[in-house]
Parts: sequence; C-alpha cells; structure tokens
Amino acid sequence: MKKLTIVVLVLLLGAFVFAQGTKDAKPADGRPTIRLLTDATGIDDKSFNAAAWRGIVEFYGDTVENPANRGNLYDVVTAQTQDMYIPNLRQAADEGYDLIMVTGFTWADALGEVAPQYPNQKFTIVDVDWVGQPNVMEFIYSEEQGSFLVGLAAALQAKEDGIANPRFGFIGGVPGSTITKFEIGYIQGIRSVFPNAVIYDYYANDWGKPELAKAQAKNWYDMGVYCIFSAAGGTGNGTIAQAKEYRAQGKNVWAIGVDSDQYTDGIYTGTKSAVLTSMLKRVENSSLMVLNAVADGTFKGGVVQMGMEDEGVGYSAANPELSASVRAQVDAAKTDVLNGKIKLYKTYKEALAAGAVPAGLAALDD
Amino acid sequence: MKAERKRLSESDGATSVLVVLMGFLVGTILVALVGKNPLNMYKALFQALSGYNIDNGRMNVRYIAETLNYSVPFILCGLSMGFANRVGLFNIGGEGQYIMGLTLAQTVALLGPQIPVLHWVLAILAAIIIGALWGGVVGILKAKYEVSEVVSTIMLNYVALYLSRIICLQLPGATTYKTANFPKTALIENTFFQAITHNSLLNNGIFMMIVAVIIYWFIMEKTSLGYGMRATGFNKDAARASGIPVVRSISISMAISGAFAGLAGGIVALGSFKYGRVLAGMDNYGFDGIAVALVGNCTALGTTLAGLLFGLLKNAQALMQGKQIPKEITFIIQGLIVIFIALRSALKLYQEYLDKRQLQKEVGVK
Repeated sequence: MKKLTIVVLVLLLGAFVFAQGTKDAKPADGRPTIRLLTDATGIDDKSFNAAAWRGIVEFYGDTVENPANRGNLYDVVTAQTQDMYIPNLRQAADEGYDLIMVTGFTWADALGEVAPQYPNQKFTIVDVDWVGQPNVMEFIYSEEQGSFLVGLAAALQAKEDGIANPRFGFIGGVPGSTITKFEIGYIQGIRSVFPNAVIYDYYANDWGKPELAKAQAKNWYDMGVYCIFSAAGGTGNGTIAQAKEYRAQGKNVWAIGVDSDQYTDGIYTGTKSAVLTSMLKRVENSSLMVLNAVADGTFKGGVVQMGMEDEGVGYSAANPELSASVRAQVDAAKTDVLNGKIKLYKTYKEALAAGAVPAGLAALDD
Repeated sequence: MKAERKRLSESDGATSVLVVLMGFLVGTILVALVGKNPLNMYKALFQALSGYNIDNGRMNVRYIAETLNYSVPFILCGLSMGFANRVGLFNIGGEGQYIMGLTLAQTVALLGPQIPVLHWVLAILAAIIIGALWGGVVGILKAKYEVSEVVSTIMLNYVALYLSRIICLQLPGATTYKTANFPKTALIENTFFQAITHNSLLNNGIFMMIVAVIIYWFIMEKTSLGYGMRATGFNKDAARASGIPVVRSISISMAISGAFAGLAGGIVALGSFKYGRVLAGMDNYGFDGIAVALVGNCTALGTTLAGLLFGLLKNAQALMQGKQIPKEITFIIQGLIVIFIALRSALKLYQEYLDKRQLQKEVGVK
C-alpha cells in the first residue's frame, strides 16, 4: 500500500511536470546572453574560472555575492569529467545563448570540433590561440610581461634591502607553454637587475596541492632564498602560507601572488602582507571585452592578444612595503617593454638561445 | 516467519527500486529546501531520458544517446565490481584497471598498425588484457598470500594513475595534457549513430558493453566456473572442502573483474575522445562502479539498469545546472541511494531480531 502511494505520488509529479510546460522567454532588454562552461574545478577556484565569472557578472552590473541575473542572462555549467566537454558545448549551443565561453586549453579540442558544427553560434575561449574558427574569439595573454614586472620588483626590493647575491625561486603547477611564459618573464625581470642571480625552480605537477609548494618553499627559504613566485593555481597558496609564517617570525622573505591580487591572502598582521606583489592576469577583461563585442555587434573570430597596454596583465602595488622607488622603476620598465626596448621571450628555447635564462630549468615548451 | 520477512525487505530488486525512489524523494526535498524549483530537476532528468525539452518543446535524440554513452563505463565498472563481489572480494581497484585500460588503448591507438577494424580491435583487446592483469595480480596476491585486496587495489589505483602519466607523456605528440590525434582507424565511432543522433558521442562501445553484460550473466549463472566462484563467495572454506579450487577462483575472478574495467577505459578513450589524454586526475568511473554494482545487486540485469540510472544522472547534471539546480544534487542522490542500499543490511538485522522475538514469544506461549 505504501509503495502504491509512492508510485502514485511520482506519477502525479510527472503529470505536474508536463502541466508546467511553459517556454522560457528571452530577455527583452537587448543585452546578450552567455553561458560559461568550466572544467571540474568550477567558478570557485579563486583563480582562472573565478576571474572569467567575475567579468561576466560585472558586465551585467551584478556582484559575485548576488548574481541577480543568473539563470536569466548568464549562467555556468561545470563539467565533472572531460568526456562531458563536447556534450556540454552542444547542449549550450542547443539552448540558444548569444555567446558560449570556455576557459583553459583543455577545452581547445572540444571547441575545435563543435564550433564548425554551429557556424552561427558565437564562442570564445581564453588562453588558447589555435582553434582558428571564424566563430571563435580567442584570448591569449602576454604573461611574460606581467611576470617580468614582478621579477623586476622583487629584484629591486632585494637591492633596496641591501641583500648581496639574493636568490630567487619559482614554483609552477603543471609544466607547459603557458607556465613557461611566467617563469621566463620572471627570470628576465630578476636578471635585468642581478645578471647572475641564482634561480631555483620546481613544478608540483598539480594545480591543487598547496602542501607541496609549502614544503618546497620552506626548504628554499631555509636555504636563504629571498623571494618565491608561484604560478601554480591553488598549489601556490602553500608558498604564501610559508612566507606568512616566516615573516611573522621576522624573517625577510617574500612570496609573489598570481592571476589575482593576492595581497590580502598574505596578510599576517594588520596591513603587513607576505605577498610582496602579484602578477595580475585579468581574465575578467576577456569576459567584459567579448560581451561588449557581442553587444555592439563587433564580435568576430580570431586571436586577441591581451597585454600590458590594455591592462590585460600587470603587477600589483597593493603592498605598502613595496617601496615607492621600486614602484617608480617598475613603472618605467613598463614603457621599455611596450616600446620594445626590453625584449621578452615567450619560450624557454628562445630565451636559452639568447642567454637570458640559465640552463637546466624544469620549464617545458609544449 | 517467511511472510514476515517478505513484508519488510521484499526481494532485492524491489528494494533497489524503492531505494532509488527514496533517493529521488529526498533529493527533491533538498532542492526545495535550498530554494530551487524541484520541477526543474525533473525536467532535466526527463530531457536526459527522452530527449524532449519541456521548456521549449524541442525534441533532440542526442540527449538519449549521450545518456546511453555515459552509461557504458558505469555499467562496465559496475560489472567489474559486481563480479569480484560475487566471489566475496571487494574490488576498489576498478579505477586503476580503468586507467590502465585507457592508457593501453591510447598507446595501441597511436602506435598500432593502421589497418581498418583490426586497429581498434587490437586497442580494445589491449585494454581488456591489461585490465585483467592489473586485477589478476591482486587476485593472486589475495589467494596465495592473503594480501587484503581492498588495500592492494586502492594502492594500485595511484600506481596506475602515475604510470599512465609516464607512459602517455612518451606517446607521439604528447604535451602536458594530451597526445597527438588518433588515426581514424583506431576510433570506435559509429557514423550511423552520429547521423541519427545529431552527432552524439554514442559509439560502438555500446555493443561491446552489451556483449560484456551477456558474458557476465553467462559466466555467473551458466558455467561451472561461475558456480565455483559464487560458492567461494558464499563460504570459502566450504567451497574448498567441496573440492572447488578456491585459489584459482579468486585469481580468475579478479582478472575477469579487471577486464571489465579495462574495457570501460578502452571504450572511453577511443569513443569519447579523438586524442589521447595525459590524465591529471581520475575519471571516477571505477569508483562509481562500486555504487552501480551495489544498487544493481551485482546481477547482470540489475547492474545494467543501475548503470543506466547513473548515466542518466550524469547527463542530467549539465542540464540541471542550466536550470540553476546545483550539480551536487545528483551526487547527493547517488550518495543517498548507496546509503539506503547499505541500510538494507540493517533492515535484515532488524528482521532477524524480530524473528527471534517472535520465536521466543511462540515458545514462551507454548
């Protein structure tokens, strides 16, 4: 009898579902609609996906805490496994969004397959420049520029602190061409001040293992390394944690943040933060730019280079302990990079051939 | 006494159905509690099941096909778990066997002879064989040296993941996350399916899955090998005393169990992707297979139905997110189902207690 009741309830529910068959009306205010597709880490990754999402939310005048138009003008679908990428792309295309956005190079192949099948659907992807479809706008960042600035800032600060022969560390996530740009730019920044500076590097092979970075950072700081830059997503939080511990104990060591301004993550007391500066990579600018392009009808396929000139990358001056003269010198270097006076390399191979970086780094070019 | 037992726990199949309904019921309540409309959850499930989008009245068979395609690895990993379980073993190594299958399939796909049909047949066979070896080793250790299969399979999962990375990084065109594209002869795509299902990922893997289900049923129910295995599962010592080769039963069952999971890996590698993946994390099909087998009572039919349910939930996940239902709800439903299934054993204990009381009463009255 009980079971029968349940079955009847379920059937009723089913009937109710059918009775509810109303069509979703498209918003009439003329603003474009967008769906963001992410990998398994979702929009709470405090990094890449979060930044893309932030840009979208900002475009519609909402805040991340209160995304009022979510589900109406924009939404997000997270793929739990990689075999969901293609189905999720097709599903989004079925549902008629003005724009479909994906983040990260793991999506490139799926997008390359789906985009030609929906020639009238607009797509956009960040950190990829090789999809090459007329309906895909691709954003690529000049990470080497921002990394150069933070490397320069760290080196100048060391000089100001009067440290003879300071040593520097770099912690990467999974090695690959994108992270290599971070490392090479950073080293070039340091070596423009200390041409023979010793550089250590380490790849955690993971974006989410802060304990690995923390252990490595402790090791290096104990050896006397002055500053460590981690471009490793969540893994890098371990470096910051270790730097916080040591600075609170009065040691003069620093961490450098990545992607977002991580100044507040590094605060150990009052306004004192262990994060000297952060290499800013404003993925949110891509979201804003592409949505504006859709809104005013200028969207077109192709690669958009996001660099220092349009504030796509940069460095953070949030930490008051980063001295004013260092800031002035870094800002001056910006101009030199932009007018080509300082040549920055994008690959380890090129940089090594030019003698700009030491041999034996763990960076990979593909 | 028998009538009493019937009233509480019915047959195993009916319990599973009841448990699934309970899982959905609690899931529905949870969705309502977080302030979302549970109807949207059912709309998404309905679309994943029938391809019909209630909101805009459009029908697209691709969604049915994707549900089927997602089910294939769930069912095969369920069979893997189920097969070992019937012999009284707990194979948590499905994930590792799946990963090894995937790895070998990718290797053969990239390096094997590019002869139509033969190429993918070799790749799939390689996946099955390595899965069988990966599981069989555990079986031998268990049977000969009493090494707990739970511990060794868990450990081998990690060995498989990192070994897979080492192997895949050596494959042609390997970067940090993918290899070169597979030659066409290695793919198990089905152009007929693609044509009738609007380019879904559904592929020939589904036929292999069906064959696997039949083989599972046949070995278990119709052969003396299967009889020996089930006898071993019921009572190892009794089986040994009756002249059943227990060591052989255990080794072979773990090998066959691993073969199913290996096949799942091969199908996902060649069916859902056109390039080899350098895995950064686990796909979790192997782990989910444990739940599938539990819900399906480790029978061929039950596991197939349970796998279809899990495939349905997975496909509905993306659709739900598009309707602003958190994707976690599908995991909660899956989790609840497993918990309720576990409760079944508690129910049995309670029944035994009731029976005892009843008996005592009857004896007392007399």
